[in-house]
Amino acid sequence: MRTGIAMSNPRLAFLFVAPALAFLAAVLGWPLVQAIILSFQNVGVIGTAGSWVGFDNHVSVLGGLGFWNAFGRSAIWVVGNAAVQTALALGVALILNQKFPGVRIARTWIILTWIVPTVVVVIIWRWLLSTSGGMVNPLLIQAGVIDRPVGFFATREGSMASLIMINSWRWFPFTALMMLAGLTRIPSDLYEAARIDGASAIKRFTRITWPLLQPTLLVLGIVGTLLSFNVFDVIWLLTAGGPSQATQTLPVLIYETAFKGYRLSEAATVSVLTSLLLMGFALLATRAMTASEDAR
Amino acid sequence: MKTRLIAFAGFASLLMAGTAYSEPVNITFWHMEQPPHRVQRMQELLDEFNKAHPDIMVKQEPQSWGEVYAKAPAAFAAGTGPDLLFGIPDFTTVIKGIDAVVPVDDLAKEMESKHGFVPATIAPYQYDGHTWAIPAYNMAISMWYRNSEFKAAGIEVPKTWSEWKAAAEKLSVDGKYGVGLPANKQLYTDQTVYALMVNSGAQDIYNEDGSISFDKPETVSAFETYGALQKLSPPDSTSWTWGEAEACFASATCGTILQFSVINTYETQAEADPADLGVAPVPHADDMTESGTISYSNAIMLTTKDEAKQAAAKTFLAWLLEPANYGRFLTMEPGLFLPVTNDGAEAESFWSDPVVTKYKSQVETMIANSKNGKLFGFTTGKVFPSIGAISGQNVIAESLQKMVVDGDSAADAVKYGQQKMSEIAGK
Repeated sequence: MRTGIAMSNPRLAFLFVAPALAFLAAVLGWPLVQAIILSFQNVGVIGTAGSWVGFDNHVSVLGGLGFWNAFGRSAIWVVGNAAVQTALALGVALILNQKFPGVRIARTWIILTWIVPTVVVVIIWRWLLSTSGGMVNPLLIQAGVIDRPVGFFATREGSMASLIMINSWRWFPFTALMMLAGLTRIPSDLYEAARIDGASAIKRFTRITWPLLQPTLLVLGIVGTLLSFNVFDVIWLLTAGGPSQATQTLPVLIYETAFKGYRLSEAATVSVLTSLLLMGFALLATRAMTASEDAR
Repeated sequence: MKTRLIAFAGFASLLMAGTAYSEPVNITFWHMEQPPHRVQRMQELLDEFNKAHPDIMVKQEPQSWGEVYAKAPAAFAAGTGPDLLFGIPDFTTVIKGIDAVVPVDDLAKEMESKHGFVPATIAPYQYDGHTWAIPAYNMAISMWYRNSEFKAAGIEVPKTWSEWKAAAEKLSVDGKYGVGLPANKQLYTDQTVYALMVNSGAQDIYNEDGSISFDKPETVSAFETYGALQKLSPPDSTSWTWGEAEACFASATCGTILQFSVINTYETQAEADPADLGVAPVPHADDMTESGTISYSNAIMLTTKDEAKQAAAKTFLAWLLEPANYGRFLTMEPGLFLPVTNDGAEAESFWSDPVVTKYKSQVETMIANSKNGKLFGFTTGKVFPSIGAISGQNVIAESLQKMVVDGDSAADAVKYGQQKMSEIAGK
């Protein structure tokens, strides 16, 4: 049931949100409109004039392999990040949800990797994984995992996997804190009752924690997917989409097309199509979330 | 009469005051020399110039190479572009393509007669009947090594590809790599691959009519040799940029590398023993007799249509190339930036720098190598606009990755490059 100002005085409510809407229209809506207009033109270098070409760019992008290959890599990137980050974050959140000395400090320090600037993250990992003085290769050799230094960004598969690990290392604390917030909302008496009934730790997790964490996971799934999908900086700085385009996700493709290939309209077309895909995903996910809430 | 005189005197004094306090011509100068010590040296030079020319005020705004390709065209489109802009040849074609650069024919002629340009440094900026930028400094790839390592392995400085490969194999012992060659899809790889292409006679990537001539036996031969040497490189060299190669050399993990200069890294992070640091021309194909290399002449474009600003900017550029000032400009990064003028190459202000003095023989070799420098897309006297996109998309490096990462043959990788370049040239 809706109550309050939104129902009693919709105009006043609209006035309150109008500045935010105007701001969003200016910083998001206007560039999007410009991108849509550009996608129907043939502009090359930014700042030059172009002529109207209708749907030529859309047909060319959708008919070519470049867009779909990059979309496939973006899908691998998103799923990989979701899996690794969820696993890491859930484990850490469960630990931080316990009571032990120093838990408050641990909860604060966990966000350290998240607040480190991207360029610092990239420099740290470049150095750690380097074969010329990096620490990871010697450690793996000493542990007997490998017998000679390996290039973590040398192969197609290794490159994507390394990027996913680095990006997950950076972002999992954020996910962990969100999960921790979700965990703290689960009433403790449920666990007490389960204990009295003799439920094991695994049972308590599968029957109480996991189901009651679903709303949080769903929100994180939507937000995390959108955030991951749009990650550009880490990928560009570490591999620039290589080797051999193995990590060229859609944001990297858009940047390369616009600012390396000087095909601004083509890049705008990929951007518009990507936006449509993401909007479609957000719409479906929001509906699924609403349906899930209604079901409860 | 008295009133008129007073009025005239008052008007005259107002005019004089106006003249005395008139605003200087402001020049905004974008360059991509971001490291703090380079910015500081540039500021010292600008302060000196501005003091000596009170009617001109040159202000620097450092940019990054990573952003300027997108930022400069956007700034010109928005009317907020600089008046002077640093550039390399392919970037100049982009700025020329949006009609933001002004020819500097007269100034180039004047500077040529006064200082004498090294031909390889100005040639990439002379096409379509004009000179589009004034060369500022040169950079050329050389082969770097340690004399002590060569001596210990019983190796002579390699002059041919076969000798280089044999040397690299000998140096690849005890966890060390005989050579460090990048295979990243990045400009550094474009440069090192092209350094080999020049040495097999594959320097022209365009035909006279603008069609692509990348796919030829000489290019395939360069790719084959590069691939063989790359196998002796560290496994992470597929993600290398210039810094990683220098680090590999500084840590003595790599026996030989191709680099513009390692002097700064060697001086600050390695042995700093000038007697042990070796530099030589890039080895050439076995059937060639002379070494060449890739050279990047960095130049300054005039990017203002305002005549007063053009005159002020030209005054600044002429001042900068004066030998007394030019050496200090070059030594903002000692041992990396090479002179583009004949009198600059002899300037006391250049050779008196402590680092240049310490590594004098190395710098002399670098300068000698730079005179045989070439740049892809700028070798035939004709420049085609597609070179900006070919260079920007690192097509040479991408083609190499087809061989190094995907396992294609050299011939197939070169064929891919030909196709990709032709696509770009056709768009």
